[in-house]
Amino acid sequence: MPPVSIPTTSALSSAHRIPSSHPAVIKILSRLSRPSLLSLVLDWLDERNQENTAPYLVERRSEDGEEDEDAGDLYQPASSLDALRETYADLQSRKGSKRDVVDRLIEGDWRHGISLYQLAMADMQYLYDHPSSQKWSALKIVRLTSEGQEEEESPAAEPRTIPRFHPATFLRNLQKEILPDVKAHYNLDRHATLPLLLLRIFLIESPYNTSLVTAFNQQTLFDSSKTFYVAFPDDSPYVYVSLQTSPPPAGQPSSRSDNRSLRNITLGAIPKAFSRPRERYTLKPTSFSTKNLQALVERRGGGRTNAAGGGWGIYAEKKKGGADNPLKIQLPTPQTSSPDPEDTKETEDHIPRGMKRSMHEDERSVKRRKLVAQGRFGKSAKGDDGKGIERLDIRFDEVFSVSSAAGDVENDYPLADELGTEPTKQKGKRSTINLELDKSKSDEIDEEGFRPDVRVTFHGQHVFAGIRELIEAGVIDGEKMPGWMTGEEGVSVGIVRDGRIQGNKGSGL
Amino acid sequence: MINPEEQSAKPPEDMIGARLDDEITSLQSQISSLKAKRNLQTATILSSHATQATLDRLRKAQTQPTPSAQADVPPDTNPLLAASTSQLLHNQENLYRACGTITTFRVRDPDPNAVDNGNVLGIRVDVSTTGKFINPYYLLLNKPFPDSELLRVHRHTLPPYIPLSSLVEKHLPTGKGSSAMSAKKAVGGKRQDLRRLVRALRGEIVAYHNRITAIKNLRKEFKLDEKASRKGKGREKFIADISAADAEAKQIRIEWVDGKIGRCVVDDDGGVVKCVVIGDEGRDREIERAVLRGRIEGIGERLMEGVY
Repeated sequence: MPPVSIPTTSALSSAHRIPSSHPAVIKILSRLSRPSLLSLVLDWLDERNQENTAPYLVERRSEDGEEDEDAGDLYQPASSLDALRETYADLQSRKGSKRDVVDRLIEGDWRHGISLYQLAMADMQYLYDHPSSQKWSALKIVRLTSEGQEEEESPAAEPRTIPRFHPATFLRNLQKEILPDVKAHYNLDRHATLPLLLLRIFLIESPYNTSLVTAFNQQTLFDSSKTFYVAFPDDSPYVYVSLQTSPPPAGQPSSRSDNRSLRNITLGAIPKAFSRPRERYTLKPTSFSTKNLQALVERRGGGRTNAAGGGWGIYAEKKKGGADNPLKIQLPTPQTSSPDPEDTKETEDHIPRGMKRSMHEDERSVKRRKLVAQGRFGKSAKGDDGKGIERLDIRFDEVFSVSSAAGDVENDYPLADELGTEPTKQKGKRSTINLELDKSKSDEIDEEGFRPDVRVTFHGQHVFAGIRELIEAGVIDGEKMPGWMTGEEGVSVGIVRDGRIQGNKGSGL
Repeated sequence: MINPEEQSAKPPEDMIGARLDDEITSLQSQISSLKAKRNLQTATILSSHATQATLDRLRKAQTQPTPSAQADVPPDTNPLLAASTSQLLHNQENLYRACGTITTFRVRDPDPNAVDNGNVLGIRVDVSTTGKFINPYYLLLNKPFPDSELLRVHRHTLPPYIPLSSLVEKHLPTGKGSSAMSAKKAVGGKRQDLRRLVRALRGEIVAYHNRITAIKNLRKEFKLDEKASRKGKGREKFIADISAADAEAKQIRIEWVDGKIGRCVVDDDGGVVKCVVIGDEGRDREIERAVLRGRIEGIGERLMEGVY
């Protein structure tokens, strides 16, 4: 450790150690479950990670003075990596409490401190164990064109190519944008199953990058709001951020608004880090945010499904054995006329349980509703596909008239009740969405008549699967249901006008 | 711990159940494979020339007014004829899809609030790569403007690495002053041109797949995907890795065994336009020149030349 601390603009190094007695260290480690904590520790003990995660080892020597130092300790320091690995593998096979493992880590094998890299790994592990612990918003990277250029008229013209993401360059540029009195630690990790690169940015407010960094702010350090995640999907012009993008509501304590501004600076730094000379980018919100990364990859990823949601998904899906192939001479059997035998069985299982009403109805109408749902949703919105969004906010912007009130709007009310398994309690969260929904209000011109402000929130584990089940159960008329209820628009916040989501011109364009 | 009583009681039932389940699944797979076989046979028989001739005769006999000829016609002819007609239509469609590669179809938007009564024009682009047809790309268009014929992209299945939006901006503008294909061109305005759009789109798709194939072939050429099992056989490997560096596969990264790293940029037509190779002693101009001397497919050959 250098004897003198000088304010610097460089990033924190991964090997930088935080005192293991720090409350935040204990908090981060005890968030994990025992099995994942133990597998994480074995990762720390891996030969390749020793640079950043080395444990406290003492070589056994004959001299007595050395040994006495740790003699009274509860946890005897191990003498080699292999011995330690064995200890933890042994712990893995035995039962025990998580508390013991955390104690052993903090007071025993990593008594000299936990490195920032280790903390990042622990946080990442938590993210993998609890995929819905973060709320992600998808942002589109769009090209900025200066006014002087005449070839493209719109200020935010579509980039012809996807901005290339080069991790090292990106981090270097990002570091340049971060303020000098804030120190950041970056950790990049590849998502295990999804085509994503996850970046964890961890901010500490201090001008130093030496041990002094932790000396000053014992309390405010490691506030969870100073850890941000950014996900970069492969081959896609989008990034997903775990940041709130709205300004803070009035009357918040100042430390919170400090964090907000930190977030905003970080957010602003992302497009700048992507940019190159004569190729400037900015981020554009895409009205889609969810806790489910898989749903994000599907709707804002690098594949074919971005602009083919809901029932249109049948065009994007991979057919088995190249069924949609011009060299195949067999006549295609229409999908809707012959549902799989498993599917019908599923219906019979599902409906009597959920809805008592349909028990009395004959099987044909059940089958018919099943087919209607199949036609509207295709293969999307199945309860077990793991692609559910947990919240859909809709503002109706329809002209209030007798005909429209009798039609769609009335149909929607029972729906909201049915689906609202939990009434929306989080008043604080709503403000973000309200802001989003209020956006286009200003450019409205009231010519056609009174447009009442009606808002509906769908809330649940998998909103669209819920709607699909309600169609299959006969609660919603599948044929009269508006298209945005199938999720084909690919938004989680939207304004409905004339029965369609507004401002989403041409889906994905 | 398993209760010994339960242990003795359960197995027979479980065994029978498991056996029945196995039987059911095997029968079900048999049914589906037989069904597929039957479909194939039906299609083959219906498409054959001999069947067509017979069916033609039947059709003629049916339309003839004389009762003697009608008596020859078997009673279940009509479904057969219908199946034959739809099979022929399907064959024709396949022919267009395989040879013309761009086909259109009509879709109905199931959304009751859909614009233009839910009429949607579908465009299917079939692309083949390495001897196989891959999943077609779809472009679905509608006419959202009530008093004009302007088309707009409604849904599509094009991945982001195909620059659809910039093509649409160019060939299918919907902004002020743009006019439909059938309309006369307004002064100073833009006119939509679906043909050009689809042609350009197909060009982009094919070019992308050609680039991917070229990179795959390069990897094959340098035996990068094979396990290093045959020792001492063949020439020594000098390329460590070749891969696409960006989503559009327009940039190729080449890594040499001796630590040199190269990047080359390919244009829309597959020609190498830029190349940088950097090793320990700075840029290697000789290799750069070799890579730049032609198209993407020949990179491997030109690299080999320099070494052997």
